[in-house]
Amino acid sequence: MTAEAIEPEAVVAPEPRPAGKLAGTVLSWVFVLAVMTYFLFPLLAMARFAFQRVPTVLLGWSTLGDKWTLDSLTRAFDDPQFGEALWLSIRLALGAMILTLALMVPTAMWVHLRIPKARGLVETLTVVPYVVPPIALVVGVIGAYRDTAPWFFTSRYSLIPFYTVLAMPFTYRAIDAGLRAIDLRTLVDASRSCGAGWFTTTFRVLVPNLRVSLLTSAFLTATVVLGEFTMAALLGRTTLQTFTQQFTQREPQGAFALGLLTLVVTTGLLALVTFLTRKRGAAAIPAVV
Amino acid sequence: MASTLTYQAIRKTFAGQAAIELFDLAMEPGELVSLLGPSGCGKTTALRVAAGFEQPDSGAILVDGRNVVGTPPHRRNMGMVFQSYSLFPNLDVSANVAFGLRVRRVSKADQQRRVGEALERVHLSHLANRYPHQLSGGQQQRVALARALVFEPAVLLLDEPLSALDAKVRVNLREEIRRLQLQLGMTTLFVTHDQEEALSISDRMGVMSNGRLEQLGTPREVYAAPATAFVARFVGRINELPAEVTADGITVAGVRIGVAAPNGAAVGSAVTVMSRPEDVRVHRPGAGTNGAALAGTVVSEHFAGATSLLRVRLDLLDVLVDAQRVQQTETSEPGHDAGDRVEVVLSPAKVLVVD
Repeated sequence: MTAEAIEPEAVVAPEPRPAGKLAGTVLSWVFVLAVMTYFLFPLLAMARFAFQRVPTVLLGWSTLGDKWTLDSLTRAFDDPQFGEALWLSIRLALGAMILTLALMVPTAMWVHLRIPKARGLVETLTVVPYVVPPIALVVGVIGAYRDTAPWFFTSRYSLIPFYTVLAMPFTYRAIDAGLRAIDLRTLVDASRSCGAGWFTTTFRVLVPNLRVSLLTSAFLTATVVLGEFTMAALLGRTTLQTFTQQFTQREPQGAFALGLLTLVVTTGLLALVTFLTRKRGAAAIPAVV
Repeated sequence: MASTLTYQAIRKTFAGQAAIELFDLAMEPGELVSLLGPSGCGKTTALRVAAGFEQPDSGAILVDGRNVVGTPPHRRNMGMVFQSYSLFPNLDVSANVAFGLRVRRVSKADQQRRVGEALERVHLSHLANRYPHQLSGGQQQRVALARALVFEPAVLLLDEPLSALDAKVRVNLREEIRRLQLQLGMTTLFVTHDQEEALSISDRMGVMSNGRLEQLGTPREVYAAPATAFVARFVGRINELPAEVTADGITVAGVRIGVAAPNGAAVGSAVTVMSRPEDVRVHRPGAGTNGAALAGTVVSEHFAGATSLLRVRLDLLDVLVDAQRVQQTETSEPGHDAGDRVEVVLSPAKVLVVD
């Protein structure tokens, strides 16, 4: 028997674009530009306030190119509390990422493999953090655990479970989408029939094939943590966001500069996620196992 | 050394519904047994119970006499090929095949040698560095077969491995599976809904319906002597004629067909006579049928290469009867045209009578 050849894909010449389609494309671009303008103008205003050494009353078109400087940001970086706040935020982000993956991946796999009919219910549960305001969550948890587990609230890492819950609507969906994209049951069964236990199946078969969704989930958690203020403020932690808020009292320009920087970093993370998910997908990414 | 696989009174239910009921099957070492049946008959459940992916409610699965119920799938040492392409997308062909050896901690050198041999067996050595998405469906299933065989499992389980492939590849691959199975002497359970597959590659085949094994036998036995009406209808094409039990035997439309009444059948009771198209002879009227013929008119003749299928409408029953005839040779009777008057004769020795 000879091996079957893979049929080369036929090359199809692109059809000329009809006028209706062209108009649709133009309209789409107009819409995109309008939305970008809506978002970019406030950001530009923010950037000018933060990075131009020009009195606010004089910020107009005529001074658009004047006296741009990173002084405000440097002052923020020089603040003795900044480094500590940033480092705490990074640790909280890493902790939340790890806890998210440790909880969500087995949960989502379990739901897919054992109780697929409950997928809708679990999805609904994961959006609960959307409808419960962060303040209600924190106050509720404090009320419930203050007496039984006071150590929990004195730890600087007590924010990690809150952030994990807060990020759940995004992270669960990212993992769920990854699991839907692969034939989970067959891969698990194939691996088990080859002699692999659950540990090997998870780390040698599933994780490499879920890499994109796991990265997405982790980055989304990081963006949520880096941008969160309410919970940190309520629990009295000095994270990047609470530091920024405090810094506003002393250095409004520096605080705006930090806010903008956080926005750039989180947007960068999301862009990275988009870039990774635009690749051919996990299935096509070879991995050394 | 090939192993035995035995099902003992296996019962498996899902949400109170029995998927398989009192399922018994004893496979000899090196035997290929097919489980054939329509969708939902329980054949895949039976296979998954053997693999350990489903736990039976009761009964035992014995491998070489040892009950493996309760043993997790990865400790059963059974190779399996699935209906959907089950290669690990993140691994190339050789790493996929080596997977079972890796988890068994086989030395690198041994892994390399055995992977090479396995790929050689399925004629895919030249594609060892390809990834699954770079292979055709047939190639993927051959890699899956190599992966299932490379660690020398006690039993090979094949869950409709050909159903996602196109017709030509399917025929090639089933011959490949049979060749490898015979070459390695591997005890193999093959689940399929395609009767041609089951008939062509099995040592024995079991026909399943509603979670039960209706008949187990060699393909010839199952085809030629179906144990139940379901088996007769499911395996191959068969004619069904309403008949009656008389003191002289079975009659169809008042014509004695030379078949004795089944034991215990009451005179006057209605039965159904079943006969394969190749066991039905069609003559021109008065061609020496000794009165056991049913008169009818040719409706059509469907040419199918070496044979053709003649469709006849019986005069007295308004029933269509299919008769298969070998294509005309120099010595055989000339063919028939639509509208020709004919007589249909059933072969008494091969008629099945059911209630």
